Amino acid sequence: MTDIEEKVCDCLVRAGSTFRGDQKEAYRRAIAKEPGTSSCWVMQQVLDNALVAEKNRGPLCDDTGIPHIFIEVGPNRQVSGNVLAQIHAGIEAGLRKLPGRPMAIMGDDYHRIDQSGGLNPDSGALAPSPILIKPVEEDVLRLTVLMLGGGPAIRGITQRVFHKHSVQVVIDEIVARAIPAVSQLGCSPCTLAVGIGRSQFEATSMMMEAMAKGNYDVQSEFERMITDRVNESNVGALGLGGKTSVLATFAKVGPQRASGVRIVALRPCCCFEPRRATVEL
Amino acid sequence: MIELTTPFTEEDIAKLKVGDVVSISGYIYTGRDAVLPKIVKHAEEGTLSEVGVDLQGQVIFHTAVSPAGVGPTSSNKLEIESSFEPLSRHGIKMHLGKGAIKPETVKALAENNAVFAVIPPVTALLESQTEERDVVCYPELGMEALHRIKVNKYQAIIAAAKGESIYK
Repeated sequence: MTDIEEKVCDCLVRAGSTFRGDQKEAYRRAIAKEPGTSSCWVMQQVLDNALVAEKNRGPLCDDTGIPHIFIEVGPNRQVSGNVLAQIHAGIEAGLRKLPGRPMAIMGDDYHRIDQSGGLNPDSGALAPSPILIKPVEEDVLRLTVLMLGGGPAIRGITQRVFHKHSVQVVIDEIVARAIPAVSQLGCSPCTLAVGIGRSQFEATSMMMEAMAKGNYDVQSEFERMITDRVNESNVGALGLGGKTSVLATFAKVGPQRASGVRIVALRPCCCFEPRRATVEL
Repeated sequence: MIELTTPFTEEDIAKLKVGDVVSISGYIYTGRDAVLPKIVKHAEEGTLSEVGVDLQGQVIFHTAVSPAGVGPTSSNKLEIESSFEPLSRHGIKMHLGKGAIKPETVKALAENNAVFAVIPPVTALLESQTEERDVVCYPELGMEALHRIKVNKYQAIIAAAKGESIYK
């Protein structure tokens, strides 16, 4: 393997098997808030699971997720076709090493839609999503792997909000969409990922960046308001009731249209997400 | 913590109530959307023995069995939740998964002295507590085939028992 392939492979394994320090602390704070409850028992299990997964470098969850790649490119760095090919090879190797759950559906368009073409038993056959690339001022070539599971994808919503020239209206709508999404997810406590943009593509790109960069220790007032409001729903861990339905909100607000509409992408990330790791290439 | 070993007796299940944390050991079955309707059909037609399945006192864990490990899928998916009543009637004592189930499913469990237990999706922990994995039938379904696995102290919380549910 090339140096880039090895780094990407290792990064993917870390993304699928490791809680970051701020993520562990977020769980410890949540556990301390409601000792002796069913919710507390679940969150302790999730944290214990993370420690075992990190030690064994094995999957946090059996739905190991679809790899999504976010790349930051500094002014003097390049992303060539050759670099992209090495990144893809590193992802393939990482999926085999984790190991990822074999989830590549085979066949033509029709076969892939109705799943009649069968599953490829090779974990490495799972194609990553299109790559998101962003220029940054820092002179780096930095890659983040995010492993996105199916449950949050089912409950995620990307839709317009008529803002009526009020941030509160947008927050109210995000909360109204998030509560049933968190409740139906099953694998709470969630981290809410929110992107706001001018189109569905831009809003989703903002949401991806929020997932790639969000930090449980650094929450804006906007993010805290959403978290606190959704936690009033008392969904709790695994829906068993409790104070912590949402650990945090990671939000990114992009450029906005001169219009009465905002496009909001919302993903109720499950109790292990955002599963992510970062490496400099 | 209530220690349980499969196969469960009627008395084992009768004493369980919502909110109890249980530890499960022994052989259990796994299956989800793809295979459970087939097992229900065998149960209703009296042909379970032809596919090597004995449901008496057993647990069905709603999971795939893949190289990535095991972990609960949502038990309220149509094909899964609709298996609760017939499989309980034919001997399953514990359905193991996650997510809120309907009131009529809670009632059907009670009528058959069976329970629903929620298990957190802790694949790494479960991997260290899973000792054997065998395909029982429908191998063509791959990770979604009916498997029998041997487990050691899986922890779960009773979410529906005696007509009551932990989900408000």
